Amino acid sequence: MKEEQVPKRIVIIGAHAAGVDAASAARKTDRTAEITLITEEKYAGYSRCGLPFVIGGQIPNFKDLIVFPQAFFQMMKLDLRTETKATAINTQNKTVETTDKNGKIETIPYDSLIISTGASSFIPPIKGKEKQGICSLRTLEDGESIANTVKNGARTAVIMGAGLIGLETGIALHEKGLKVTIVEMLPQILPQALDPEMAKMIQEMLEQKGIGLLTGKTVEEFLGTDKVTGIVAGGEQIDADLFVSAFGVRANTQLAANAGIASGETKAIKTNARMETSAKDVYAIGDCAETINIVTQRPALPQLGTVAVRQGKVAGTNAAGGYSLFTGALGSAVSRLFDTDCGWTGLTEVAAQKVRFETIAGAITSKTKADYYPGALPIKVKLVVEKESQRIIGAQIIGGEEVTQRINAISLAIQRQMTARDLVKADTAYAPPLCETWEPMVLAAEMVLMKLR
Amino acid sequence: MVKVDGHEVPEGLYYTKEFEWLKIEGDKVRVGITDYAQKQLREIVYAELPSAGTTTKQNDPYGTVESVKAVSDLVAPISGTIEQVNAEVQSKPELLNEDPYNKGWLLILKPSSLQAELPNLMDFNKAVEWHKTLQK
Repeated sequence: MKEEQVPKRIVIIGAHAAGVDAASAARKTDRTAEITLITEEKYAGYSRCGLPFVIGGQIPNFKDLIVFPQAFFQMMKLDLRTETKATAINTQNKTVETTDKNGKIETIPYDSLIISTGASSFIPPIKGKEKQGICSLRTLEDGESIANTVKNGARTAVIMGAGLIGLETGIALHEKGLKVTIVEMLPQILPQALDPEMAKMIQEMLEQKGIGLLTGKTVEEFLGTDKVTGIVAGGEQIDADLFVSAFGVRANTQLAANAGIASGETKAIKTNARMETSAKDVYAIGDCAETINIVTQRPALPQLGTVAVRQGKVAGTNAAGGYSLFTGALGSAVSRLFDTDCGWTGLTEVAAQKVRFETIAGAITSKTKADYYPGALPIKVKLVVEKESQRIIGAQIIGGEEVTQRINAISLAIQRQMTARDLVKADTAYAPPLCETWEPMVLAAEMVLMKLR
Repeated sequence: MVKVDGHEVPEGLYYTKEFEWLKIEGDKVRVGITDYAQKQLREIVYAELPSAGTTTKQNDPYGTVESVKAVSDLVAPISGTIEQVNAEVQSKPELLNEDPYNKGWLLILKPSSLQAELPNLMDFNKAVEWHKTLQK
């Protein structure tokens, strides 16, 4: 008699970029596994990264951000439980305790568990932070709440934090006609991403477009009786109708920590290359999971959508009995700010100094088409190279177009441990309406070699 | 044929909520996946189909279709005996994307209890209404 095989039970906490990709990979690896996705949110499988563009009006509806409709979960035989909170993990008995919106408690057993609890918007301990009306932009509901405030006639907005979320949200609100002020504690915008001189280019562009930027200013207090009506930053009072906290996000590790699962030095859940945590058969992925930086080989927490889906694929494959590795991230990212594209990968010079790497940088300003071709836009490529090995360890690009695939190319060059000398020999393409004869990445590498002479 | 949110729903077919279609051809039926299904799956690279002579049972899986990012069970719209399997789809699974209602058919079945099982399927009008409830 044929033995009936018991299907593997895979439970995934979180159902967005990381969680859904993990579920897909698990299903592709194991056709019979029982795969359960649990999310506290009402909507699953939507793109958080798209939220600013609904506020800005480029995308008509928040629901358009749903990447994985209900039918997808059905076709892939995934048991999706929305508005259900995972309240406890028991790594001994291998169970997850959940509470649904009606208060029904359930204990779900697992053979493999994937934690993709994401991250939450964080507000530093500022006087008056308990007051109402400080928005963040993490969930679809957050987006709707900001959009409603705008619809109800908000004229002015203060954004706290000049990272990507802060800038993208600020621009979206500016495009909706609000007067926007962005406050940043550090002396430059995009401090994690760009070196100061590159950040300055973006800052000047934003200011020219009419965005107010206060860098090197700490938010000291939230003013107002019950509801926030103003802030004090750098001793100056700024009143506004809308306040958006974009200070940053913190990995949601409480559930894992309560189960005794270890966190790493980035305060996110520690993982190995298979995305396994310190607990047997428990994986962590996405914004709550620590990984390593490919260049420094040190713990890193990139908290990016592309990292989340790639980690999800690895964890899902492993959780279903397959084999796959995630060997680290470079933190490659791109953004469009008004009509300027910007992107980065690997280390900035500032980040390299922090890990005591000595660097040589080459920065070239060029055009996105042949110089004589109508519509050619400026583009600046900065390449960061480690001095001794001459390996490329980072890049930052700002331009009118054509930034993304250059970032991807340099990211691959870093991954393959290419040197400035390798990049100088790159076999590039050319046509006047599309690019310059000399590729700016190649010229930046050339500049590095000249400085190394 | 009508298009619901860009998804084709041809007249004269029966449909299941497992994203399959069924066409009555004399005493045989032809089955395949819907346009909605192929669009959700995107480029299909593999179709795992049973061989002729095997039987299907309504609502039971009989095979799978797989794309780069997704995999889905094929669920039998009707019970019966498989008379013919579309070999062309197995060697050229892109036919499922290009022409799901014609060249991309999957099976020809001899149904065992068509009259009893047919009411479980959606006719054209019901299928159009159901497609309207699906998100794109």
